[in-house]
Amino acid sequence: MSYLDNIRNFSIIAHIDHGKSTLADRLIEKTGLVEARDMKEQYLDNMDIERERGITIKLQTTRLQYKAKDGQEYILNLIDTPGHVDFNYEVSRSLAACDGAVLVVDATQGVEAQTLGNVYLALDEDLEILPVLNKMDLDSARPDDARAEIEDIIGLDASEAPEISAKTGMGIDEMLEKLIEVIPPPQGDPDGKLKALIFDSYYDSYKGVIIYTRIFDGRVKRGDTIRMMNTGKNYEVTEVGYCIPGTVPADELKAGEVGYICGSIKQVADARVGDTITLANAPADAPLKGYKKAQSMVYCGIFPAEGEKYENVKDALEKLQVNDAAFNFEPENSAALGYGYRCGFLGLLHMDVITERLAREFDLDVITTLPSVVYKVVMKDGQVLDIQNPSNLPPAALIAHIEEPIVKADIMTPNEYVGSIMTLCQNRRGNMIHMEYLTKTRVQLHYEMPLNEVIYDFFDALKSRTRGYASLDYEFLRYQPAKLVKLDILLNREPIDALSTIVPEEEAMAKGRGICEKLKEIIPRHQFEVPIQAAIGQKIIARETVRAYRKDVLAKCYGGDITRKKKLLEKQKAGKKRMRQFGSVTVPQEAFTEVLKLDDGR
Amino acid sequence: MTAGNMDKKRGIYIHMPFCVKKCRYCAFLSFDAEGSPRKEYTDALEKEIKLRAAQEKKNGTDKPVNTIYIGGGTPSVMDISSMSEMIKTVRRSFEVDPDAEFTMEANPATLGRKDGVMLAKLQAYKFMGINRFSMGVQSMDNDRLHFLGRIHTAENVARDMDMIRRKGFDNVNLDLMFSVPGESGDDALSDLEKILEFGPEHISCYSLQIEEGTPFGEMAEAGELTEVPDEEDRETYHRICRRLEDAGYEHYEISNFAKKGDDSDSPSPYRSCHNSLYWNMDEYIGLGLGASGFINGIRYKNTSDLNEYLSALSEGRLPIAEEHRNTAFDNISEAVFTGLRRREGISYEDAVRAYLEADDGEKKAPAESCDFRNFFWDIFAEAKEEAMGYAGRGLLIIDNEGLKLTEHGIDISNSIMSLFV
Repeated sequence: MSYLDNIRNFSIIAHIDHGKSTLADRLIEKTGLVEARDMKEQYLDNMDIERERGITIKLQTTRLQYKAKDGQEYILNLIDTPGHVDFNYEVSRSLAACDGAVLVVDATQGVEAQTLGNVYLALDEDLEILPVLNKMDLDSARPDDARAEIEDIIGLDASEAPEISAKTGMGIDEMLEKLIEVIPPPQGDPDGKLKALIFDSYYDSYKGVIIYTRIFDGRVKRGDTIRMMNTGKNYEVTEVGYCIPGTVPADELKAGEVGYICGSIKQVADARVGDTITLANAPADAPLKGYKKAQSMVYCGIFPAEGEKYENVKDALEKLQVNDAAFNFEPENSAALGYGYRCGFLGLLHMDVITERLAREFDLDVITTLPSVVYKVVMKDGQVLDIQNPSNLPPAALIAHIEEPIVKADIMTPNEYVGSIMTLCQNRRGNMIHMEYLTKTRVQLHYEMPLNEVIYDFFDALKSRTRGYASLDYEFLRYQPAKLVKLDILLNREPIDALSTIVPEEEAMAKGRGICEKLKEIIPRHQFEVPIQAAIGQKIIARETVRAYRKDVLAKCYGGDITRKKKLLEKQKAGKKRMRQFGSVTVPQEAFTEVLKLDDGR
Repeated sequence: MTAGNMDKKRGIYIHMPFCVKKCRYCAFLSFDAEGSPRKEYTDALEKEIKLRAAQEKKNGTDKPVNTIYIGGGTPSVMDISSMSEMIKTVRRSFEVDPDAEFTMEANPATLGRKDGVMLAKLQAYKFMGINRFSMGVQSMDNDRLHFLGRIHTAENVARDMDMIRRKGFDNVNLDLMFSVPGESGDDALSDLEKILEFGPEHISCYSLQIEEGTPFGEMAEAGELTEVPDEEDRETYHRICRRLEDAGYEHYEISNFAKKGDDSDSPSPYRSCHNSLYWNMDEYIGLGLGASGFINGIRYKNTSDLNEYLSALSEGRLPIAEEHRNTAFDNISEAVFTGLRRREGISYEDAVRAYLEADDGEKKAPAESCDFRNFFWDIFAEAKEEAMGYAGRGLLIIDNEGLKLTEHGIDISNSIMSLFV
């Protein structure tokens, strides 16, 4: 019997909120590797933002030891996956490191769009899937319905699916027994040429980049010179070990095992997720399949707010990038906002997380501009430009046509909401490919939609129209020509570049009007009238006016309470500091992000 | 004004936090007079007066008092006997100038129901040394008074004024409130005409401010109150200013107007000395619940919790909740924003002297060798460009001597003042 037989490499896959992180916590607790008193809620989600939002962004991986009823000691490597469509590639690489997956289905909710999306990703990696019914402690649990959905929609036999409660710990032992039975042990040749998959990496200020890896063939130890097969870079290994969790050094890692490798690597971009590690002096013939360089789907400008230093923003962005290969940035200069950075993200959530971390971890005050997708601009001279900043769009006269990214969007919903979802998607320029009844009451809608329509507030709109019941999964499909124009916003007749957007021609009028109305609410009154205009080229298509300011006087100084008056004035002054001056017009910094929240009922 | 703080006199503010009934717009500290521990309160107040005076004597910082102001609440709901005792305690504890301005706030219809009682009460106030009344008239329209939650009518005002005059009080302020929801500019001007008929020596005009946590605030939040638009409010304000100027009143502070004396070129003798303390960086001792004071370079505020106030004094402690020693910048900043409330504005010299006289432990150049104007703009270098902008738009006058708001500058005075904090 080989050592491989006592190893199980698995992931937990679930729809957001179905209890993946809680289950991971319970497993860690059960297998006794973390003292109960050290348990934080959801151990694996170790960024505050992750815990708050209940999502996993940065992966964690954990080696668990479990003594099974057959008397054998098993090593269970739990490989975490991020829980959001923005991070699908990362999910697929984590899954590639596994041999099986535990599919957690919320017994009160049933199967959802992401459940299916994640299952497909797992199937693509040839993983055995063990379905598990969670939240069985709740009165509203409907295990039979959930079982039927798993069988009907996913096609997995769920008759023996363990019924558990990750919250109370109920059924966890049974689940572990089942896991050992269903999920196969890894295969691999410990004496072959090294082939190790990087499924995550993060930066540690003492050890440099720590690579999480699954060894497929061969072995690796301290002192070896490793090579990243896709980037071609070589590093000397300074440490290898297991994640128990944390990093515990070991002599070597060999085929079938999961662990970490350090090699004085300066930034995570040098140890990209999906890359294959081999030995420089005895390289493998070919890397593992499936490597992709992270592609930014959404861009926005990040500028230092009034009183914030450009260098501070730069430092922070660099530090974030060290740990996030999917995030990139380059300097940008805006007439309105000065020097800043154009930043690329995997999606809107990724963008939110980065901007929030700038505020929280680096205490920075930044302005983020409207997010934009990358347009392919085909020029009349045949040149093709990638434009992600509306300000850089060439004059309309030089452009032959513009192409925009289209995504494949899968929406799963109870059937009663189909009508309103179809209206929503239609308004967002969605094109329905087909619709299928997964069960009598659950429908999956397949749409092709411009990414541009998805990135702003589509998810929120979807949730609000379906009382939170619909779920969404999307992925990039192709570029497609579209009639698009640049919509400029003028304040006091001066164009504000940071407020320009690229919009479909037929929607320009409505969008322009919406933005003008929103700005009218946001921009404080001045001592003069401030016209707000939306324009396409020279043509004004919408206009609002902020009336002149007439009154800002506190009549009474109550009983000599000068301090109170002073506090009011100081507050007013501080409020003004959060404003941006454009010519003679003062604009609150929120304006740049608030205009996004165009609730025009579409 | 060149004399330093040392030679100046002080004012005393005493707060009486009780009312017959709280008005619907009022965010002030006050309790229903009925059922509140009024006697305990004045007893505690007397202790505070004595404690404060003893402390000043001990520190050698006591100074003569030249204004006393009893505000509220509604001081006229207090028992005459305890009021009289309290004032005696003030006079025994502090050196009060014989000709000190001594104001008491009174609300119409609280001075007594019967003529005889009212006259006797007014006589008592006269004995106490009160020589100025400030009446919360607010409006002369009974419907509007009712809407505001006032307990009086226009007829009550007329009767009270008659009695006050009969008792020989010759310095009376009447408060007028405008921009009450539903009120037009013409309504406000008509109120003003009726008020002018009483020939008050002083008039304060305020536009209603809807404050959170008041019944009006709640109504506004529920969309049940339509606030008067700013444009209309400001138009009414300027009409009031015109009318009062024509009627021979001096507009000496944003909200305050004083009847001119015989020599119409010199400042009115009826300006409120007490309120002027606040705008001149002068010292005042605040006594009573939630009262603020400014003495010996320290701004303080008493607790606003009645029980805490009573228990502090029963334990022989001053009931101070906040204390702050002004820095030099605090001083100049306050001098500017309070000074800008005066139509005369603030002189560079007064502002800079407030800075130099601050007792914050820093050694400063003697004022005599100072170019006040440059000194001032060095401190406010950051504000200068914007201040010049306001000057260019005719809202602020900046000259060799100092700064002052124009009448239209008043409309946005907070924006201008906030440059200097």
